[in-house]
Amino acid sequence: MTVELQHPMKADATPDEVARGRFVSGMRSLILNDLAGDMRSAYERRAAPAFKKKHGREPESSREAHQALRGDPAFNIYSAMRVQAQKMVWASVADSVERESDRLASEAEKAAGALGSLELDPALEVPKNVHAIDVHLMPGSYTRGADSLEAGAVYDRGLAVFSMGLMGANLDDIGLSMSQYIKQRHPDFAPQRILDTGCTIGHNTLPWKQAYPDAEVIAIDAAPGPLAYGSARAKMQGQEVAFRQMCADDLAFEDESFDIVWSSMFLHELSKKQRAKAFDEAYRVLKPGGLVIHMELPPNEQMGAFDGFYLDWDSYYNNEPYYKGYRDEVPRELCTRAGFADDQFFDFVVPSIGIYGDQAVADAAKGDRAEGVCQETTGRLAEGVMWYGFGAWKK
Amino acid sequence: MVRFRSVEKVSDEKLRPEDAPPGLYDDQGNPRFFADPGMDRFVAVVMNLAQEVWVQEERLLALEEAKSGDAIDRDAKAKEFIDRVFAPIREA
Ligand SMILES: C[S@@+](CC[C@H](N)C(=O)[O-])C[C@H]1O[C@@H](n2cnc3c(N)ncnc32)[C@H](O)[C@@H]1O
Repeated sequence: MTVELQHPMKADATPDEVARGRFVSGMRSLILNDLAGDMRSAYERRAAPAFKKKHGREPESSREAHQALRGDPAFNIYSAMRVQAQKMVWASVADSVERESDRLASEAEKAAGALGSLELDPALEVPKNVHAIDVHLMPGSYTRGADSLEAGAVYDRGLAVFSMGLMGANLDDIGLSMSQYIKQRHPDFAPQRILDTGCTIGHNTLPWKQAYPDAEVIAIDAAPGPLAYGSARAKMQGQEVAFRQMCADDLAFEDESFDIVWSSMFLHELSKKQRAKAFDEAYRVLKPGGLVIHMELPPNEQMGAFDGFYLDWDSYYNNEPYYKGYRDEVPRELCTRAGFADDQFFDFVVPSIGIYGDQAVADAAKGDRAEGVCQETTGRLAEGVMWYGFGAWKK
Repeated sequence: MVRFRSVEKVSDEKLRPEDAPPGLYDDQGNPRFFADPGMDRFVAVVMNLAQEVWVQEERLLALEEAKSGDAIDRDAKAKEFIDRVFAPIREA
């Protein structure tokens, strides 16, 4: 499905560019649904039995599933096509972003007077996980175009192609699903101050402002360009958010000053050391009674060998060097090591609000800890996606 | 102005998961999957080519639409096109 962004910085694309984007979304859909299914059946039919013949047992970990699959024709074709489709995502938006740089700047200028703010820190040293590799094969990574709107526009337009419609027209399905889950599960919780860490362009920040309109919402990221873009984007959509350039592992906020610390698809882009520090910082800045909550990929400990490797694939082949290391960690321990009490930890699965609807999210919020972490659709961007989250309350 | 936390030899540093066997990548650091590395390139060429054909197809659809006055569901057409072109790989 083709996604059209919901603000004036959306691409004024030529018909050829629209066709290119549609093709890439369609290819990704073939790869992530059909070819992924073919790979699973090849694994069961061929790869796992061959592994068993050699080792006397089934593959037991993501790593062994990888070993079993390497060289299998279904794995090869899935992988080679996924790599190329990923490159095509970014290529399909590069021309329009370059051509429209002046228009983007003037659109942002027009919106500058709206509520909300942007504070960049030119003295901040951008960490290498943000600038030194082309994260998920995105050319120039998050610092492309320095503090111009370029990186943000590439990300926004690229994500529209990448997501195949599964993240909603405003690319906010994760934030919408998760904020509604929390709001409905904890109707008496009334956060006054909310922090999003690693917000990129703030697409999953805005739903928190919508869920809690009276709260002050602050969104930080280490990369300046996406923040500048995200600030303009939020203003265009009438959402008051303060965007600040800062590292999540070194927050410039006072102790006990937030009610929620949130992130989405963020922890897996940090080194193990940065991640531990980010949890320490979250604990420090949360008020007693506050909530840390992360949307992330489900951890390996809760998945079988094949499904675990299916997600870890990105670590080896999609320039996500920390992805597997993250997925090998245990969410509960990440929280308790930072000071959260063991009995305050929870994890859950929320159905995508865009796919399953408001009622399904409401039902999940009322239910027991959602089942289905180990379901195939959890954490996988494919038909029927459900989002995995975890968090802890600070006593 | 953007300051970067320094990395030695940023350009040729390839961060990889610790347990990635070196044989997963070619000497340029690109992932390789097929026994013949030419195949990895070839798959990419086929996908690019199919994309170019699809771009031409959308131009024709626009002309047809203008002529008949009926709207065409391009997403559905693209899916049919992709399914048809890539049918052989479903047998892998
Ligand atoms: C995949 S994006 C997150 C996207 C977004 N939160 C979402 O919901 O889709 C990861 C972001 O983390 C940022 N980042 C990485 N390391 C960081 C750090 N130490 N402190 C703050 N931001 C960081 C990157 O610049 C990037 O924008």
